[in-house]
Amino acid sequence: MIQDFLQNDYLQHALYAGLLIGLISPLIGVYLVVRRLSLIADALSHVTLAGVAAGLFIQKKLNLFTEINPIYMGMGFSVMGSLFVDRLRRMYQSYSEIAIPIIMSGGVGLGVVLISASGGFNVNISGYLFGSILAVRTEDLETTLIVTSITLLVLILFRKELFALSFDEENAVLTGVNRSIVHFFFILVVALVIASSIQVVGILLVSSLITIPVATALQHTNSFRQTLIASILYGELSVILGLAAAYHFELASGGAIVLVSIMILLCVFLIKKVVYLTARLQKNRQRINS
Amino acid sequence: MSTPILKVSHLHFSYGNQKVLDDVSLSLEQGEFLGIVGPNGSGKSTLMKMILGLMPSQHGEIDLFGSSIAHFKERSRIGYVSQKANSFNLGFPATVREVVASGLAGKLGLFRRYKKSDWQRVDEVIEQVELSHFANRNIGKLSGGQQQRAFIARALVGSPDLLILDEPTVGVDAKSTTQFYELVRFLHQNQGLSVIMVTHDIGVISSYVDRVACLNKRLFFHGEAAEFQRRQKEILSAAYDYDIQLVEHHHH
Repeated sequence: MIQDFLQNDYLQHALYAGLLIGLISPLIGVYLVVRRLSLIADALSHVTLAGVAAGLFIQKKLNLFTEINPIYMGMGFSVMGSLFVDRLRRMYQSYSEIAIPIIMSGGVGLGVVLISASGGFNVNISGYLFGSILAVRTEDLETTLIVTSITLLVLILFRKELFALSFDEENAVLTGVNRSIVHFFFILVVALVIASSIQVVGILLVSSLITIPVATALQHTNSFRQTLIASILYGELSVILGLAAAYHFELASGGAIVLVSIMILLCVFLIKKVVYLTARLQKNRQRINS
Repeated sequence: MSTPILKVSHLHFSYGNQKVLDDVSLSLEQGEFLGIVGPNGSGKSTLMKMILGLMPSQHGEIDLFGSSIAHFKERSRIGYVSQKANSFNLGFPATVREVVASGLAGKLGLFRRYKKSDWQRVDEVIEQVELSHFANRNIGKLSGGQQQRAFIARALVGSPDLLILDEPTVGVDAKSTTQFYELVRFLHQNQGLSVIMVTHDIGVISSYVDRVACLNKRLFFHGEAAEFQRRQKEILSAAYDYDIQLVEHHHH
């Protein structure tokens, strides 16, 4: 099987794209999860659906931009959606989570209307919904690489600010951290990551690679640094094992990746339980002996 | 005499019809430890928020380090420990060291990473607040008193000239509270740090601070701690009656 991955172009593309997404999704996920914003990923992925539908609509009805992958339109929508979520969150300060269902249902509504208005599409929409990693072309891979570079650049440049704002926003702002600049770039990167991970796991599963590896890491990490590293490791492991399983058993790749990441979460949880119980057992034994 | 670190002159503030601050004037000299006391809803927190620039003032002047608050840009000269500092997300994956270092983020500015000397400074303040053993522990797993000391360290790490503590010992046990006051007094006496501490703890405060301000919408006392202690009963009964008189006034 390893040989297949090394020789087949489309498998290689799938693997590379998967590894890039497995790196950046959990990375932004850490910041989203600790700020209790993980649902934003879901909202933006549905907005991306509306963008993709809009792109397909324009291609079919107006015969424009037929050479351009509709996923770019999705990216544009995702970025606009992210700025809109931000606005709504500020408008409803004491109900800030309300922004998410508004944006999410808005995205789905618009997407479905556009799809029906153009009388259905001849492209397979399920590729966008559930991911189509085996259809990754060279140019898709290039886009993913660019998004990865931008993401890493922003996260590295604003690392200390992002930490300070995530831990205690009020204090960070008081000590002079420029919240608006940092926040703008971060939310922009979130939108880009979500749009570009759609090919790997699909719109319905995007938030899984953003949240599940982080949830797994949070089971056992002490420091923020450890959390970042462990989340990336779990993300990459899910992508590699999920892809291999999908190829070997001929399964849907997005679903396989998500299921593997959940299995890892359960394993870590179990290991933690076992470690805890044996430690307690040992303590009890020591107490009895002494 | 040098310019005071903080000068508040004739400050007024109201939420709609409700007066929160009524002609409040006070000052903090270089190296002074000022305690601000007053009942709940006396406008203490509002006053702090305005001094920190979190809320605009409606009437009156606030000068920090000799410049008007509207033009004050050197945020890192102020270290702040908020009342709700220890109500953070307890599951947050961060060590004491990481949290303390975050106090430097604003001072260093964008695009500058923590250098070796910054981490040395972080370890130095962690030692000052006697948390060296806990430096690499998760902040959520510390006791309330230890967390509060970690937040003091975060406020101190940027070497501020003024430390503002807003009811820093709420939810902290009595022994830790005493330890905390001792620590603040030590920092004040040994490092010449100017301190403003807002507190409910009227019984203890006058033995730690230089001067006391007693606030309940307007200022009922602003002077030496010794004098406050001597006239405590009289000042407090005046300050704490203020609300009641107002209510009666409205009834007539």
